[in-house]
Amino acid sequence: MTAPLSTGLPGGAGAAASDPGDAAPAPDPQAPASPWRLTWDRLRRRRIALVGLGIIAFFVLTAALAPLITAVSGHGPTDTDKKAIDPYLGGLPRGTLGGVSPNHWLGVEPMLGRDVFARLLYGAQISLLVAFSAALMITVIGVVLGITAGYFGGRVDAVISRFMDVMMSFPSLIFMMALLSVVKDVNRVLLLIVVMSLFSWPYIARVIRGQTMSLKHREYVEAARVSGTPSVRILLTEILPNLTGTIIVYVTLAIPGLIGTEAGLTYLGVGVRPPTPSWGQMIADSALYYKVDPMFFVLPSACLFLVVLGFTLLGDALRDALDPKGSRA
Amino acid sequence: MTGFLIRRLLGIAATLLVICAVTFCIFYLLPSDPATQFCGKDCAPDQIALVRKQMGLDAPLIVQFGHYVLAIFAGRTMGSGQYAVQCNFPCFGYSFQSGRPVWDLMMDRFPTSASLAVGAALLWVFFGLSAGVLSALKKNSWIDRTVMVGTIGAAALPVYFTAMILLYVVVTVLGLIPYPRYIAFSEDPVGWLRNLILPWITLALASAAIYARMTRSSVIETLAEPYVRTARAKGLPERRVVAKHGLRPALTPVVTMLGMDLGSLLAGAMITESLFGLPGVGKLFADSLSKSDQPVVMGITLLASFFIVSSNLVVDLVYAWIDPRARLS
Amino acid sequence: MTRRTHTALAAAIAAALTLGLGACSSNTSSDPGAGDGKGITTEGNGIIGGTPVKGGTLNILSNQDFSQLDPTRNWVEPEMDFGLRTLYRTLTTFKAAPGAEGLQIVPDLATDLGTPSDNAKTWTFHLKDGLKYEDGSPIVADDIKYNVERSFSPELPGGPDYAKQYLNAPKGYAGPLKGERLGKEAIEVPDAKTIIFHLKRPVAEFGYTVTLPTFAPVPIAKETGANYSNHPFSSGPYKIESYDRGKRLVLVRNTNWDPSTDTVRKAYPDKIVVDQTLDRAGIADRLVADQTADQSAIAYTELLPAKVSDVITNPSVKARLVSQSEGCTAFLEMNTSKAPFDNPKLRLAMQYAVDKEQFQSAVGGPALSDIATDNLPPALTDGTPVDHFKIPAAGDTDKAKQLMAEAGYPNGFSTEITVASANRQQAEAIQAGLKRVNVNVVIDPIDASAVNSVQGDKNKQTGLGIAGWCPDYPSAATFLPMIYDGRTVTDTGNQGDKTRFNDPAVNAEFDRIAGLTDVKAANDAYLALDGKIMDESPAVPLSWQKKPLLVGSNIAGAFANSVWSGQLDYAVIGLKSVK
Repeated sequence: MTAPLSTGLPGGAGAAASDPGDAAPAPDPQAPASPWRLTWDRLRRRRIALVGLGIIAFFVLTAALAPLITAVSGHGPTDTDKKAIDPYLGGLPRGTLGGVSPNHWLGVEPMLGRDVFARLLYGAQISLLVAFSAALMITVIGVVLGITAGYFGGRVDAVISRFMDVMMSFPSLIFMMALLSVVKDVNRVLLLIVVMSLFSWPYIARVIRGQTMSLKHREYVEAARVSGTPSVRILLTEILPNLTGTIIVYVTLAIPGLIGTEAGLTYLGVGVRPPTPSWGQMIADSALYYKVDPMFFVLPSACLFLVVLGFTLLGDALRDALDPKGSRA
Repeated sequence: MTGFLIRRLLGIAATLLVICAVTFCIFYLLPSDPATQFCGKDCAPDQIALVRKQMGLDAPLIVQFGHYVLAIFAGRTMGSGQYAVQCNFPCFGYSFQSGRPVWDLMMDRFPTSASLAVGAALLWVFFGLSAGVLSALKKNSWIDRTVMVGTIGAAALPVYFTAMILLYVVVTVLGLIPYPRYIAFSEDPVGWLRNLILPWITLALASAAIYARMTRSSVIETLAEPYVRTARAKGLPERRVVAKHGLRPALTPVVTMLGMDLGSLLAGAMITESLFGLPGVGKLFADSLSKSDQPVVMGITLLASFFIVSSNLVVDLVYAWIDPRARLS
Repeated sequence: MTRRTHTALAAAIAAALTLGLGACSSNTSSDPGAGDGKGITTEGNGIIGGTPVKGGTLNILSNQDFSQLDPTRNWVEPEMDFGLRTLYRTLTTFKAAPGAEGLQIVPDLATDLGTPSDNAKTWTFHLKDGLKYEDGSPIVADDIKYNVERSFSPELPGGPDYAKQYLNAPKGYAGPLKGERLGKEAIEVPDAKTIIFHLKRPVAEFGYTVTLPTFAPVPIAKETGANYSNHPFSSGPYKIESYDRGKRLVLVRNTNWDPSTDTVRKAYPDKIVVDQTLDRAGIADRLVADQTADQSAIAYTELLPAKVSDVITNPSVKARLVSQSEGCTAFLEMNTSKAPFDNPKLRLAMQYAVDKEQFQSAVGGPALSDIATDNLPPALTDGTPVDHFKIPAAGDTDKAKQLMAEAGYPNGFSTEITVASANRQQAEAIQAGLKRVNVNVVIDPIDASAVNSVQGDKNKQTGLGIAGWCPDYPSAATFLPMIYDGRTVTDTGNQGDKTRFNDPAVNAEFDRIAGLTDVKAANDAYLALDGKIMDESPAVPLSWQKKPLLVGSNIAGAFANSVWSGQLDYAVIGLKSVK
C-alpha cells in the first residue's frame, strides 16, 4: 500500500522518460530581498496554515516534554496498572470511555492496563523522531544528488538519473518490510529511518534536478560561470539559495507520508519493538477492540490523522506562499 | 516509436535484473539458512548438507543467481532422484512452507489483489476526477470550498480508521452486508461485489481526495493557459473549451499518478488486505516474510517491480496519446 | 506459544476433567460489579447444540495451513484431532464423548484393543472386515506396517516417535522410502488382517499408543514422500476433494467408508470446508456476528484473548463458547545452557519476579485460565493443584531482588524472549513483570511456525521462551521426563527439554522411577522429584488454561476434550438443521 507515500510526495509521480520534474515551474527567482519575511507574511495571512502550524507545534511540544508531562500525569508509557482493568472481562478497562479517569486521563489499554495518554505522548516522540530524521536524510541525499545531476548534466546526470529510476522501480513498502525483517540486532528506530529514507529520496532529487537544470541557464549563473567561479561555489551561493523554497515545500509535504509509512510498517509488525510505544502498534492492537473499547481505537488514529493533517495544511500553504504559481500537486 | 519501445523494454529488463540481484543478495547473504528452513524440524547436519546440494545452494552466489534468473524463463528441475520435481516456466522456485510453486501461489492470490486494486482505482478516479473538475470550474464557490476542506481531511484519514469505522457501522451496527471475505468473481459476482465494497472504499477514499486536489489545480492551471484564452476569444462555447482544450492536457499528471499507484497496488495492498483479511498477494507477502519463506518473498518482490516498471511504460504511451506535445523520444 | 501438544493417551481420571478452575484462583476482584468472577464452562452440559442432523456443509474458519496432514508426521493439535477424525483411522481410537468417557479407547481398524503377550512385549491386532480406502481398495495390515516404518524416515520428520522408541527395530533403520522394510523381529504381518508388534520393553499401555496417527494405514502405491501431506489417501469418512495449501481444504464424503465398521465417527456433514485465509480477529468477529454461512461455522484456533471481552459481555455469544481445560501447563522457559540462566539461583529468582497475574490477563483473564503454581497440572496431582513456593500471584519482587543479588546480579540484566507474534502481549506481560526487578527483556516476535525451530536451535535460542506441555496421559511419567530429561537434548530441532535442563541426579531418578512397578510409589517419587526440579527452576509455571472455541448458532454436537487438549472433537460435530 503506497498511498501514504504518494500522499506526501506529490512531485514524485514521474515516469522514467517523461519527467514532470522538468516541467515544474521554479519559484520566482526574482523575488525581492528578504524572501523569508515575505513568506511569513503570506503565511500569516492564511488561517489554515496557522492551524496546521499550531497542530504541529502542539505535537512537537508534547512529544518533547513527554517525560515531564507523564511525571505529572503519574504513569509512564510501560507502567501497567492491574486495578484499571477487569480481568474477568478479558482485561477490558474498568469505567466508561476506555477507563478515562482522573488517574488515567485518556484511559488505559485493555489487558495490560497501560496508560493510553503516556503511550500516545511517547508514541508521538517515535513517530516525529523517525519522520523528521528521515526527512532530513532524504533532503540531504536528494538535494546533493539532484543538484549534482541537474548542474553537471551529461554523463553524471545520466548515471544519477538511471539510479533514481531504478530506485523508484523498487516496490518500496515491500522492500522496506523485507529489509526491516531481515536485519536483526540493530537499533530499530535508526533502521526505520535509514530504510524509509532509502526509498524516498529519489522523489525529491528528481524535483531538485529539474529545478537546477532550469536555474543553470539563468543569466547570473552563466555570468558566474564565465567569470571563473568554481562550480561548488556556484552551487552553494547561486543555485542552492534559490532552491530553498522548493526544498522546504517538498520536505513539509513529505513528512506526513513518512509518518504514515512509519505507522504502516509498525502496524504490519516490522517497526519498533515492544514495549516501545508507537501509534502504528497501538492502532494494530486497538483494532481488535474496536467494538468493545472504541476509545482506545479512536485515540491513536486521531493523533495520526491530526499530525498528517497539520503537515499537509502547512505544506500546502507554504507551497502557495513560496511558489504562488503552484507546482503540481 | 519502435525504437523508443525497444529502448524502453531493454531498460525495463535491465531494471528488473538489478532489482532481482539486489533482492537475491538481501535474502541469500543473510544468516538465515534456506536449507535448514526447508529441511524442517528434526534435521541432522548431513541432511541439511544434502538439501543444500539439492537446492543448488552449495554453488557460488553468482551461479545461483544465474540459475534463478534462467529458471524464470526456462524452468528447472529441483532436487534429484525419486522425488525430483520439474518447475516449469515461469519458475520462481518452490515455497519452503507449502512446497508449492511460487508462481502458482502468486497467481492464486493475484485475482484478489487485482480485484481490490482495480475496483478501488475506478472508484477513486471517478470520484476524484469529478470532484476535482467540478471544484475547478466553480472555483471559490461553496462547492469548491466544501470539496477542498473535505479532501484535505479525507487525504489525512488513516486507512485503519476508515476500515474499522466502515466495519463497525456497515457490518456490526447496520448489518447491511456480512463480514467481508473474498469470493471469486467467477463463483458469485454479486457476492464478490458485496464483499469487496468496503475494502474498495477504504482503499479509494484517501486517493480520491488526493486525485481531486490534483485534478483541480491541474485544470485551473490549464484553463489559464494562453491557448485556452485563445479558444475562448474565438467564441467557442465554454463547454467545448473546457472539454476540448482544458481537460485533456489537465489529465496528464493524473494519468502519471494513476499508473504509479495502480502499478504498486496490483502486487497487493498490504494494509487493506490485512485489515479485511483478504487473501491477496500483499497478505501472502506479509505471511511469507514472517515465515522467512524466501522464494515466495522474492517472487512477489519481482512481480511487484514488474508491475511498477511496466505501468511506467504504459503511462508514457498513454501520456503521448493524451498530450501530443509529449514526444516519445 | 506454539504448543507442542502431544496427544493425551489417556487413562480415565474423571476428576481431572471437571477441575479446570476455581480451586486455586488467587486473584480476587475487589469490584463486585465486574464480571461474574467465575471461570467459563461450556454450556449445555458440555455439548453445545444437541445431536446434529445428517448433511450440510460445515465451515471451519482457520488462520493457518495444516503444517502436516501426513499421518506419519502429524503430532500437533488440532491437526491430529482433525486428521484422525476425518481422514485416517488407527488401530484403536478415543471415544467421541465429553468428559471422562472421551478418555476411553475403543477399537477402530482393529477388532479389539490388542492382545498383549510375552509380558506385554508383543502386541497382536486383527483388522475388521470391510475396511476400504477412498478408491474402494481394501485396507491391509501391511499398509499400517508401512506407515509405522515411515515414522523412522529422516525425510519425514516431526511425527510421534513412540514407534521409534518402543519397536524392536534394527539400530539405524532409516525408513522405507529407499525400499528397506522392517523385519519380522519388529513387525510381523502374517496375513492381510493381522499385525504383530514386537517391542523392546514391556509397554502396558500400547493399546493407547496405537491411537496415534503413526498407526494409520498408508498404501505403498500412494507414497509421495514429503508431498504426502498434500493429499493423504483417506481411510476415514471423508476424502480430500481439493486442497489449496494455505487457502482452502474441501473434504467430501468418502463413499467407500463403511459406517458399520466405525463406532466412533458419525460424519454428520456432507462436506467440510476449511478456510485458511482468515486471521484470528476476523474469525472471532465473524463468529460473534453469526451471519448466514457463519452460523454453520466453527473456529479452528482458540479465541484471540483480545476478543474474549466481546464474547463474555454478550450472553447469547457466550452460550456458543466451548471452553475446556487443556490439561497443559504454560511455562516461561529459561535457556539453562547459557548465561545468565545457567545460574540456578537466578532462575529461582525468576519464580519470584514474574507477575503471573499479568500473564493471566494476557491469556484471557481468570475466566479462561488459572495461575499455575507447579510444573504438574492439577490433573497429574490427584486434582489438587500443588503450590510449591507459595509465591503471591503477582510475584514477590523483594525476594526476587534478594535472590538476584545472591546470584550475582544485584543490578539486573538484559535478556531476549522469543514469542509468536500473535502472542506478543504474553511476552509484554512477562516483560512488565520482570522490569520491576530491573530485568530488561527484549521481545523478539516471530511467526508461530518458526518458534519451534528457533527455540530448538542451540545457536538461535533466546534466554527466555513461552511454551506449554501437555501430558500424553494422566501420569507424571509423560510429563516430567519428557521436558526435563537432559539426555534428550539435541543441538538443533530440540523439542521436549527446551530449557536444555540437564541434571545427572534428576536423570538418574527418572531411570529409577521408570523401573518402579508400584504405581503409587512411582507417583510419590515423581512428586518428590517435581519439587526438586522446581527448586532448580528451569522454567516458571505460568498458567493452566482452557481453550475457548466459538461455534456458530447452527452447530450441534460441539464439545471439546482434554484428549485433544481442549480441541473440538471433529468425529461427531455437525449442523442443527440443513436448509
